[in-house]
Amino acid sequence: MSSYPLTVLTKNQEVDAIIRDTIDKVLVLRFGHASDPVCLQLDDLSKSAREVSKFASVALVDIDSNEIQVYVKYFDTAFIPSTVFFFNAHHMKMDSGTADHTKWVGAFHKKQDFIDVVEAIYRGAMKGKLIVSCPLPLERIPKYQLLYKDV
Amino acid sequence: MEEKLKAQKPNPNPNPKTNTAKKKKKKSEYEFCKVCNLNHDQGQRHKYFPSHKSSLSNFLSRFQTKLSDVRFFLKNPSPLRPELASKNRFWCVFCDSDIDEIGSSFACYNAINHLASADHLKNLKHFLWKYGGGMDRVDAFRIWEADVAKWEKKCISLKSDAVSSSQGAIGPEIGPLNDIHNENNYGNIDNFENSSIQSVKSSLSNGVMPLQYYTNEYQVSHSGLYEATNVGMFAHDFGSFLPAETCSDTNLWNLKDIRVNRNSQHSFPYNSYSSADGSFSNGRMFQVHEDEGIVKGESSSHGLQNLARISTLAPEEARGNVHTGAPPPWLEATEASQIDAPLKPAAGSLVPLNKSGKSKKLNPKRVGAAWAEKRKIELEMEKRGEIVKNDCDANWLPNFGRVWQSGSRKESRKEFEMEKQKLLKLGSQSEIPIEIQPYVSKRMRTEAGE
Repeated sequence: MSSYPLTVLTKNQEVDAIIRDTIDKVLVLRFGHASDPVCLQLDDLSKSAREVSKFASVALVDIDSNEIQVYVKYFDTAFIPSTVFFFNAHHMKMDSGTADHTKWVGAFHKKQDFIDVVEAIYRGAMKGKLIVSCPLPLERIPKYQLLYKDV
Repeated sequence: MEEKLKAQKPNPNPNPKTNTAKKKKKKSEYEFCKVCNLNHDQGQRHKYFPSHKSSLSNFLSRFQTKLSDVRFFLKNPSPLRPELASKNRFWCVFCDSDIDEIGSSFACYNAINHLASADHLKNLKHFLWKYGGGMDRVDAFRIWEADVAKWEKKCISLKSDAVSSSQGAIGPEIGPLNDIHNENNYGNIDNFENSSIQSVKSSLSNGVMPLQYYTNEYQVSHSGLYEATNVGMFAHDFGSFLPAETCSDTNLWNLKDIRVNRNSQHSFPYNSYSSADGSFSNGRMFQVHEDEGIVKGESSSHGLQNLARISTLAPEEARGNVHTGAPPPWLEATEASQIDAPLKPAAGSLVPLNKSGKSKKLNPKRVGAAWAEKRKIELEMEKRGEIVKNDCDANWLPNFGRVWQSGSRKESRKEFEMEKQKLLKLGSQSEIPIEIQPYVSKRMRTEAGE
């Protein structure tokens, strides 16, 4: 299986650049530990990335880097891996029945799930919607508890 | 026939409850309405519905236009060439039948006879009753017997003329093209010849003005051109002949007709009318068949009735005109600079220039469309090496709807930036370490104290 190398972002400017340069495609930013490639690619993200490459581009964000912390904070990233979706520099939300609509928390159970989610985002974005509903059934959505300021 | 089946009354309501509750709602079988082209179960009520009424008026007006073509030929019979007869079919909507012209010697022969027939009248009346067209319109869709008789007389006279003047290769099979497409042309010629204004007016609708008078120039200029003709046309008044091309043969008959009417006393079979006339009227045909020597350019200038003749023959001849398919003068200049091929619409030529693979336009309502367009322009400018006004600073952040904030995304971004600034301010100060002390209860304190 050829692994599709995903760009790893470590700096704010890089994140900025990729958000601004991805035009008319969904941008999938996965936040995780660069040191732990398994964490980042639990769900074969690299393989899935190729499948969605026509309408999406995937990038990894290393939350361990210092410069990235602004974004980590900005996006309220509490759990890793977290995936944030952008389209044309606009942030796309997804309602998957969880507490946090702004991002996808956790890994995807199957490669196809990831593709489905990205496709749903793409369709919604093309129609002009900023929030889409999750196409996956409940059992395949990772559950988590969102804590407010570690309370 | 289908119509007869439809004529059956719909079944009475089988359900007694609804009968008492609503008298109007009779359950009827589905019928097909030819006018609206749909199946309905409204029974006899359907023809009063406004949608039906509007479709009916469309339907009938469409048929009327076809009928007007037929009526034209009723007034001006012209012979029909057998090869072209197969193209001339006429569908009578009232009788639901196709009326072709195979084997008919004159244009719309069968159609005219059909429209005058008793069967057709019967079907027409039934149709109007069924679809609510208004019985006063019966006459609009049929042809009177008297008219048919007149028409037949005309046809006979035409035939006899044709037979009597059997000079040259014109045989009975050669006749004017009874192209429905070129009916207008015939109309022009014939109307032209009937020196009645109304005929001219009717021909006006065809978009081509017939010549109202001879243009001697044509004859003079072209007398030498049409020398040898297989047809053996004789230009008694004018020294021009028409070439014996197939298309021109159609003119022959037209001219003949013209002649018959025009020089009413004469019975010249093929007075070759000025070629201008022929060419004018059949400008299209001439062009199509590319008959040489047929006047092309001039005719357009001489077409208008009662207007000063534009006597600019020579220059026009050289350039050609619409009828010859020459490009308009304003395009000639550009043509020279561009491709010589026929000009395509601008849009078509731009299609291949678009981005590869972008066959459909992206939804303009998609998320961030405006931003995307702007960004694309910026990128293109960058590619071209121009300086891009980069108004993003290091502190740029996308509009992100944060988790714990409510309100719009811009607001949440602003909030975040404010928080960031606060953090920066506080960062310089040392934080007072907050000591966490275990809870000591009163009892413990008292115990400890004791």
